[in-house]
Amino acid sequence: MLKKSVVENTLSAALGTGADFAEIYMEQSKRSTISVVNGRVEAAQSGMDYGIGIRLFFQNKAIYGFANDTSEKNLIRIAREAAAAARGDRVYTLQGWRRMNMACMNPIRIMPDEVEKRKKAEKLFLAAEAAKKYSDIITQTKTGCLDIVKDVFIANTDGLWAEEQRVRSRFTVEAIASSATEKQSGHLGPGGSLGFELFEQIDVEEKAREAARIAVTMLGAKPCPAGRMPVVIDNGFGGVIFHEACGHSLEATAVARNASVFAGKMGEQIASSVVTAIDDGTIPNGWGSAAMDDEGTPTQRNVLIENGILRSYLVDKLNGRRMGAKSTGSSRRESYRFAPTSRMTNTFIDNGKSTPAEIIANTDFGLYAKQMGGGSVDPATGAFNFAVLEGYMIRDGKVAEPVRGATLIGKGMEVLMKIDMVGNNLARAQGMCGSISGSIPTDVGQPMIRVKEMTVGGRG
Amino acid sequence: MERQALQKQIIDEALKQGFTDCEVFYLGGESFEVLLMEGEVSNYENSSEGGISFRGTYQGRTGYASMERLEEESIDYVIQAAKENAMLMPEEECEDLFGGEAYPEFNGYYPELEQVCVEKRIQLAKRMEEAALNGAESIASLDYCVLGIGKREVAIANSLGLDISYTKNFASGYVSAIARNGDETKKGSAFWKGRDWGDFDPEETGRKAARRGAALLGAGTVNSGTYTAVLDGKAMTSLLAAFSGIFFAENAQKGFSLLKDRLGEKIAASCVTLRDDALLEGGYASVPFDSEGVAGKNKGVIQEGCLKTLLYNRKSAKKDGVASTGNGFKAGLTAPVKTACTNFYIQKGDKSLEELFGQMENGLYITDFMGLHAGTNAVSGDFSLSAEGFIVENGKIEKPVEQITIAGNFYTLLLDILAMGEDMYFAASGKGSPSVLVKNISVAGK
Repeated sequence: MLKKSVVENTLSAALGTGADFAEIYMEQSKRSTISVVNGRVEAAQSGMDYGIGIRLFFQNKAIYGFANDTSEKNLIRIAREAAAAARGDRVYTLQGWRRMNMACMNPIRIMPDEVEKRKKAEKLFLAAEAAKKYSDIITQTKTGCLDIVKDVFIANTDGLWAEEQRVRSRFTVEAIASSATEKQSGHLGPGGSLGFELFEQIDVEEKAREAARIAVTMLGAKPCPAGRMPVVIDNGFGGVIFHEACGHSLEATAVARNASVFAGKMGEQIASSVVTAIDDGTIPNGWGSAAMDDEGTPTQRNVLIENGILRSYLVDKLNGRRMGAKSTGSSRRESYRFAPTSRMTNTFIDNGKSTPAEIIANTDFGLYAKQMGGGSVDPATGAFNFAVLEGYMIRDGKVAEPVRGATLIGKGMEVLMKIDMVGNNLARAQGMCGSISGSIPTDVGQPMIRVKEMTVGGRG
Repeated sequence: MERQALQKQIIDEALKQGFTDCEVFYLGGESFEVLLMEGEVSNYENSSEGGISFRGTYQGRTGYASMERLEEESIDYVIQAAKENAMLMPEEECEDLFGGEAYPEFNGYYPELEQVCVEKRIQLAKRMEEAALNGAESIASLDYCVLGIGKREVAIANSLGLDISYTKNFASGYVSAIARNGDETKKGSAFWKGRDWGDFDPEETGRKAARRGAALLGAGTVNSGTYTAVLDGKAMTSLLAAFSGIFFAENAQKGFSLLKDRLGEKIAASCVTLRDDALLEGGYASVPFDSEGVAGKNKGVIQEGCLKTLLYNRKSAKKDGVASTGNGFKAGLTAPVKTACTNFYIQKGDKSLEELFGQMENGLYITDFMGLHAGTNAVSGDFSLSAEGFIVENGKIEKPVEQITIAGNFYTLLLDILAMGEDMYFAASGKGSPSVLVKNISVAGK
């Protein structure tokens, strides 16, 4: 994407400021979106993102600059301006190049930018129709698709020269059920590192009916009772609990600053012994997968927690320097606008031994969170919160009436220790994770789990 | 390529290729940010960016496309993509462009702000950091200490002859301190945003963050039940921001807001006046015009409890047969024109915090909500959020509280406001509120 001489001159200029490491990240992304409201196209957009980010390390300090103007003159200016904020005491020189050949992790069958947009819209109309037809009380539908073809180029003063094309597609559906006074919504958003074949792999009408079913069920639901109780969280997007309650606190961004509850706990028990958790950026066609991270380190499968014992953090180069740890291929960013840092890829709690039926049958009373909404966590305190999109009470070992408006709150470590049953029906679901290096695609996942006791917020 | 020349060239080329009208919206900016860790610069960022978004009418339909590569060879990509997008759009959704009107005088750019040298800015950040670290005995470390300057330029040119632009800039400082006592960890933060470094008191900002974090230590929970509560300006602002979309006419028209057809009705307690003021002096979200070139205005959205207007862009205004309120904004280059607030705030009242506590007698003082992006239902108005703050007994702050969730409904909450504070908080987004006293807050604790 850039001429070799431009890369060499820019990196040399960077080293000339006394930096001991410099990196160029460049991307060109073509993105296309359509959103359909109530069966009519509401918006159709296309955009080309284009820009470059230059990063310099002065030991544990980082300097970052970015721009859309990728002329050699401008790149060298960015590199040199860094000297205003930092200056190293010796000048390093550029070594030779080590070209990285990335194995293709995510084979794409149908390039989305070669598919007529009308064809994509037709899928959205189909889904809208299916959601609407599900019930008379479905009053609104929103369906959408997004695809992105992102070409990434990374070169650094360690001699790395790497390129990767990343293709992602996603389908989203939201159905809203209304009564005279209430509205409830259900939504799903399957996607992957896939081209237009995503729409062959999923049945958009079935997904639409599922979203409609959630909305209709929740409209008839009573407010969830509040208090402390056992909570059973189902598979798939239920994994957002681990993502928020634990995953963020294992990112080196928080650990290196000693701002994580899990800092200094390597090798210690941080979860109940039935919990094994993994972050795996290498899952073929996974939503959060890529051949390399955004620093050019190959992605890998990281076992974070093994039978309750903390085995690994998620580490990027800069925080790795601060912690004296190696990169785990976890450095990610939304775009050239962000310096990369340690983030999750596809993160999930691994299968356990119980069947979902056993878990429910063993719970006398509690909340069954069948579908989770989003949530957030403060890595410094470990305090998190989640919304329950579709919930039911469990009474006498059986799933009973639906309840709405529930939230789950707690602290990461406490909840991890209180997981007492793990099912065997692992599934992953797609999300967008927002943090300091922007909004990035990540998978969450888990089998059904039971938390012995959690604070449930509700209005009942 | 130079911005104005590029705008003109794209317009000319699009007209040649069959567009009957078109517009090129430019968004550019520069930013500087320095992040400190333990007295050292740990991250430093310096950037410049710019991109254009195109929209135009092709065969009676509106098509959009955008790009950040401001070079001649990308022009064709934008025009072809906009054509394909146009052909998907219903004809009746065609957006007509705006030729412009009279604009208010706007003074948002302060070049002196950028003239303070990098070393001096780093010094200011270090002073803020030190003040936060020493601001309370329990402060163990800092979560963040950031200082930044941002500059933004917006320029709109179209085939109707509109050619307008503005530039604005701001400096800001943010610090967040971690307080520890044994196993208990709490966080307190403070920020400053302004246009004159002389207004920035790094010591006070740092100390404020430290005091806030330290005050929350020793927190317990409360019994579940229904409480009266004072929501401080920051907490109320975050709720208002999460539900701001209910005031957008475009949402009401699509059935995503329960405020449809409620103009003139009482939707809030009579002490509530809510404004959206694009022209607020020094306001963080002040602009002379929106993304469609409509002049900024000062609107009373709720006046003494009555709904007076919704917020309109040109498309939603046309549907309701009214004039745009100047709230047509693009969230970014790739986003179409939607509705957004400018300085959107609840007007302050006349009660001091002590008076609000006195009126409440026993209840909760909520200083922060968490999980606003997930625990709120923008359609129904329901929310269920994790919160922290203090227990108030006999009108006095008794002790901090944590691990509680507060549930309610935003529509109901507006009616349940009992009194309005005399203080005023503005978030960096321009949204704001004083502290408010609210009844019927459902709390889940122990």
